[in-house]
Amino acid sequence: MAIIEPIEGRYVYLTIQDVEYRVYYEESGKGIPIICQHSAGSLGLEWRHMLTDPEIISKYHVIVADLPYHGRSLPPESIEWWKEEYKLTKSFFMNFQLELSKALGLERPVYMGTATGGFLALNLALEYPSKFRAVIGVESALRAGPATLDIYYHPYIGNDYKRANSMYFSAPSNPEKYRRAITWVSMLTAPPATKGDMNYYFIEHDLTGKAHLIDTASCAVYLLTGEYDPTSSVEDTKMLAQQIKGAKFTEMKGMSHAGMAENPELFKTYLMPILKEIAKKQ
Amino acid sequence: MAVHFIDPKNASYFVEVLNNDPEFKIAARYMTKDACIEVGNIKCIVKFRDGVVTEIKSENAFADPWDFAIRGSEEAWEKFLQPIPPRFYDGIFGGMIRGNFVVEGDTISAFSHFWAITRMLDIFRELQNK
Repeated sequence: MAIIEPIEGRYVYLTIQDVEYRVYYEESGKGIPIICQHSAGSLGLEWRHMLTDPEIISKYHVIVADLPYHGRSLPPESIEWWKEEYKLTKSFFMNFQLELSKALGLERPVYMGTATGGFLALNLALEYPSKFRAVIGVESALRAGPATLDIYYHPYIGNDYKRANSMYFSAPSNPEKYRRAITWVSMLTAPPATKGDMNYYFIEHDLTGKAHLIDTASCAVYLLTGEYDPTSSVEDTKMLAQQIKGAKFTEMKGMSHAGMAENPELFKTYLMPILKEIAKKQ
Repeated sequence: MAVHFIDPKNASYFVEVLNNDPEFKIAARYMTKDACIEVGNIKCIVKFRDGVVTEIKSENAFADPWDFAIRGSEEAWEKFLQPIPPRFYDGIFGGMIRGNFVVEGDTISAFSHFWAITRMLDIFRELQNK
């Protein structure tokens, strides 16, 4: 008997900032909806283990989309996108989550994002607390460190760079099979999308002086950061958590920047207490 | 802890191991560059020609030319070479972000051949702990 996973993949048409996008998404499970957002220059495959975990999908409805220009969500057909460099903006990124949630009829979903998506968790909690019952920011920070955008999309630097670099955004003690899969997944998104996503990550995201305005009574905030993450370090996330009254921070020992993909079993041990707490509040 | 890859006695063996490593052979394809791996004030020049390492030179290499350099203190490399390195020493790019390593010179070449470099350094770690 062949193994068939419970994941269902579909396309949904979303209009964001007056442009229509054909967006690929996968979902599985029933219960509290959780939108899972991938990191910069990546795609929904990062969350594949969440979509098949029997314990998770027995109580939660997991939704994972490829952001436009990523994976199977191609650039839109109604604009001449090739005449300008792709850049992910904060407003587009937030509107995407809102439109996805609305189109799928989700009722105050949990939003969980990693890295670039983890940064967005805080923007959503700040600006749209009524739309999400909780946010989980994986590898979040007030802002990113120094920007290094050009190496992600340069005619002399090929995909080997992403392949090599992504290996070390997972902790050295994690299973090689997962670490190597991350290197492959990192190559699946077009290089311009990686650089363009960094516009939000390095330039637009900055919660300095704003994080304390997040109201966790309206939208609960959970933060998870890997011990090894060099980009958003444990100290960076602690600093963020200290500024949000009621935010809950957990350090993920033995993990780095690619949590749910670098060691899904270990990641789950950190995630489940959060999901159970969210479920208990319903 | 002595850093083995800068010991001239190990050079020919390290060259042989690199050139016989299946992953390194793919990662280093087409590479013709001289990479300087600097440990404190000791320069170690790794010469690549058409994807093959032809020489690792750490003796009397102080005046040799190179295309790009990866620099770190002896302490930084010792941490990097541990079987399970501590955080911020487990990868060159992460180490750069945290100020533990520096990439200089023709950085475009360094990053275009980054897979070869990172695989080479991982092999150096394996040999260090053999």
